[in-house]
Amino acid sequence: MESILKATNLKKYYGNGETTVKALDGVNLEIERGKFTAIIGTSGSGKSTLLNMLGGLDSPTEGSIQIGDTELAKLNNEQATLFRRKQIGFIFQNYNLIPVLTVWENIIFPLSLDGKKPDRQFIMQVVNMLGLENKLDTLPNNLSGGQQQRVAIARALASKPSIILADEPTGNLDSKTSYDVINLLKMTGAQFHQTIVMITHNPEIAQMADHIIRIEDGRIVA
Amino acid sequence: MQDMLRILTRRNFTANKNRNLIAVLAIMLCTTLFTSITTIGIGTAQSITLTFQIQKLSKSDGDFRFMDASQFETMRQAEWIAEAGLRMPVGYLSNARLHNIEFDVLDETQAELTFCMPSHGKTPKQANEIVASDKALRDLGAEPQIGGEVTITFSAHGKTYTMPMIISGWYEAYNDQLSVMWSAPAFRDANPDIFQYTYPEDHELAGTYWSDILAKNKTNLHDKMNDLACLLEDPTGSLQKPEHLSAVVNTVTNPTKDNDTLAMIAILLLLFLFCGYLLIYNIFDIAVMQEIRRFGLYRTIGMSRKQVKSLMNRQTLWLSCIGIPFGLLAGFLIGKATIPQIMDYFDTEYQNIAVDVSPSPLIFLGGSLLSALTIFISTRKPIKIAANTPPIEAFRYVESRAGKRASRKSCAFTSLARLAWSNLGRNKRRSAFIVTSLTLCIVLFNCVGTAASSMDIEKQTSYMMRTDFAIVNIVSTNNTKGFSHRSESLKEQTIADIAAQSGVTDGSVIYKNTAEDINITYGFPNAFLDETVVRDDNDLTFCFDEAYRCFGLGSDGRPLCNVYGMEEVAIARMDLREGELDAHTLYEEMENGKGVLVGVNVNRIDMSLNEIFDIVDIGETITVYRDGEPIMELPVLAKAAINGDDIEIGYTCNGPNEVGGDGLFLYMPANLYVSLYDEPSIYKYAFNVEETYQADMSAYLDNYREETDPDINYLSSKAARDSAIKFRDMIRFVGGLVGAIFGIAGVLNLTNTIITSILIRRHEFATMQSIGMTNKQLTKMMLLEGLCYAAGSCIVSLAVATALNLTLVKGILSSMWTFTFRFTLMPAIATSIILLAISCIIPVLTLRHFYKGSIVEQLRVVQ
Repeated sequence: MESILKATNLKKYYGNGETTVKALDGVNLEIERGKFTAIIGTSGSGKSTLLNMLGGLDSPTEGSIQIGDTELAKLNNEQATLFRRKQIGFIFQNYNLIPVLTVWENIIFPLSLDGKKPDRQFIMQVVNMLGLENKLDTLPNNLSGGQQQRVAIARALASKPSIILADEPTGNLDSKTSYDVINLLKMTGAQFHQTIVMITHNPEIAQMADHIIRIEDGRIVA
Repeated sequence: MQDMLRILTRRNFTANKNRNLIAVLAIMLCTTLFTSITTIGIGTAQSITLTFQIQKLSKSDGDFRFMDASQFETMRQAEWIAEAGLRMPVGYLSNARLHNIEFDVLDETQAELTFCMPSHGKTPKQANEIVASDKALRDLGAEPQIGGEVTITFSAHGKTYTMPMIISGWYEAYNDQLSVMWSAPAFRDANPDIFQYTYPEDHELAGTYWSDILAKNKTNLHDKMNDLACLLEDPTGSLQKPEHLSAVVNTVTNPTKDNDTLAMIAILLLLFLFCGYLLIYNIFDIAVMQEIRRFGLYRTIGMSRKQVKSLMNRQTLWLSCIGIPFGLLAGFLIGKATIPQIMDYFDTEYQNIAVDVSPSPLIFLGGSLLSALTIFISTRKPIKIAANTPPIEAFRYVESRAGKRASRKSCAFTSLARLAWSNLGRNKRRSAFIVTSLTLCIVLFNCVGTAASSMDIEKQTSYMMRTDFAIVNIVSTNNTKGFSHRSESLKEQTIADIAAQSGVTDGSVIYKNTAEDINITYGFPNAFLDETVVRDDNDLTFCFDEAYRCFGLGSDGRPLCNVYGMEEVAIARMDLREGELDAHTLYEEMENGKGVLVGVNVNRIDMSLNEIFDIVDIGETITVYRDGEPIMELPVLAKAAINGDDIEIGYTCNGPNEVGGDGLFLYMPANLYVSLYDEPSIYKYAFNVEETYQADMSAYLDNYREETDPDINYLSSKAARDSAIKFRDMIRFVGGLVGAIFGIAGVLNLTNTIITSILIRRHEFATMQSIGMTNKQLTKMMLLEGLCYAAGSCIVSLAVATALNLTLVKGILSSMWTFTFRFTLMPAIATSIILLAISCIIPVLTLRHFYKGSIVEQLRVVQ
């Protein structure tokens, strides 16, 4: 299968000398297009750092990240932001919706930032799939956690990115809602041919992915 | 627990450097506002009072005159008198050349109260020692040098004395025209023949005791002084008014309270308190909101509401203790620097301008109290919020909630402008405070600008002056005096010298009757009341009519009127309104004894004849009496609207008040006037000067005053215009200063809100950046937020400024004659542009300063 994301000898060190913290210590990783990959590990294992690197939110101390034909480590901040806007969708544990925007406005926000007209038909398809069609004019604080996370998923999908990076998307949800959200994520990924990389603590949730990568002490162990 | 609270307060305090800085700045700004305004208010009032006191040469509460030794001793024992000086006038020195020098015996209390204490050397002790001003000593041919000798010549009791005196000290002259030279009581003891008390018999001043006093309590001062004078003269208490003694309240030190001014001060005070409230409330509201999770923690672990309040109150107290002293200092310095600008305006109007701005405890006490009051009022609600928020809610509190609304209509496209606008709604109260704060600044600037642009310079100038120059005796430009005596007449030589200068045209001497011209009186149809009063200063009797107009009376009990004699050229300059309107014809008829021109005061707002002073009609006859016998019948041929220049000179109209009172004002040809009055007195020489010679004339007159005739003063139309312009500049300056302080308060509010907004939304910004918002877009969004505040303020301000301009400002300005209302929004527009620019800069700078680090770091900050 064709790989869409490739990380080579990825290192992220904080501090120096004896106090050096090796958040990532030589990670090599290749993710295939269209697959759902789960990254698991204990707290402080480096999984969030890895996800941030993969999304261009943080820069590595050493190593390279290639997404498609783009070498992420070579982009400056603004270039990384523009790349992220077009190619990557982010989903956070605490949803991170903009409180002053309605559900609809939150979903189309990344497109608006890009100056693009939203593909209404596509977005409505996503909205319907996520069961948000009756909540489009609602403000985020009036939604349940599960509903908010569904809005976050819709937002991540709206700009049709090739990769979706999800940082513990079920961390704040109860187990039933968690399964619902992951199923939706899987379903939309499959429907829209997107690659999903998800971090989770939960082995059972991880089991729902096509691939599982375990990370400990900044290294991939399985 | 108290110790723990103290520790907590201290550590909380040191941990919040940004908040402390902004809060201290806010408190400082608020205190600066109060202190500068208090300094300007008190300082200007003090400076004006001091200027008038110097003109009057006394800063006492009042003075007793013409006493003998025993009356003086009884007077100074009076229970209500705090201090009483000793003054024994001897007379004016006859060997003085140009300066008027009054020679008195004084004690130190009197010298202090009448600006005569030596700034160099010592007070006189021996009989042959004197203290005088440098100007007086130089005029007498001596140098101001301690131990130097000066010869003085004076007359008393019909005898002339010439004495060599030793200079024990001297002081810089406060007054250009008059100085007091004084000796110690030892001089009186050594020269008993000079100080015989013969006043009741011959009105000889030498030998009389005078005393300037300071009262312990100034309530009913006039009555107290009058009662004491009566008792001094007749200890049995049968007198209602003293016969020989005089007791006069110093109205310069004790002015009548003006209710309108007090109301205006109260309104301004409330406005400033409101401005301070807006600023400080917002700062503390934000501070509480930023720390509310911490308060929630304290409440959760058992801190009571009272203890949370105590914690906040202590921090407020500490912040106040830092902010208030700095604010007091800054405010005082700003006020002190401002007062000379204000007093500069009075420079044209009054001689011997003095500026007195001392760091009075009243200023600092007033500034501190107002600030403390504002801080107390402003912090009540934020502190209450901090103390009353339930612990769990405080923990969960996030200001980023979008208010109480559950939903809103979505937009098809989300723009940064819409996002910025939505962000303003997160805390509507705070947004309203910022908009109000900025609006206050813009509206105030517009009101000040409207007032300044409505200042009618031409109207003021033309009211003050009808000619390019007018020469008068210095008393006419002394606010406490005015031309009323023959001795104040202009010298023929002075007029001849000035008339001989190049470029002088249309010159006319103007005669005016005085308090000595009591044998020429006038009869006209008007009903007078029986009530009369006698003026202390010139012994003239005044009566009143039913409209309570007052009339100075002559020896036959008929009105003296204010009578002017002038050349045709001067009559032609007057504003003829009724009757014969052709000046030439009118003058000819008046010269032929066919009648007289009557001047009527104008209602300055519309320059119409003021009905109150319009006493006689065209055609009515005025009878002229000499020594009680009718000598002439003068029908009223015309009426003129008279201005300050027609009455005396420009600003001051005191002279006529002291002679004819409110009426009538009669204008007649110079030759008729001269034939009527025994000793015609010239009070003014008015003339025009060709354009090219005007600067030369001013220089000539300045030099002439200095070198030849120090008794004269002059006003030029240029000075009158400059004075009006200075007044306009003063309005701009003081109004601009207050507006600027309001503006700084508004901008500080805006800055604080934007900083807070950035600090509490760092996580949200990081989220937006993680989903594709560039730095440029983030900056643009914050810039738009700032712009929304400023634009909102501008829109509200323009509406409020328009409404206020057309109502309150128009009403106030229309009630003052110096203004002709002109509608303008230019100051509001100009201020709005500046605020819009500032509101663009602040978000960019604060974002750069307060939003640092990578997206990941910002995402972790809150997580």
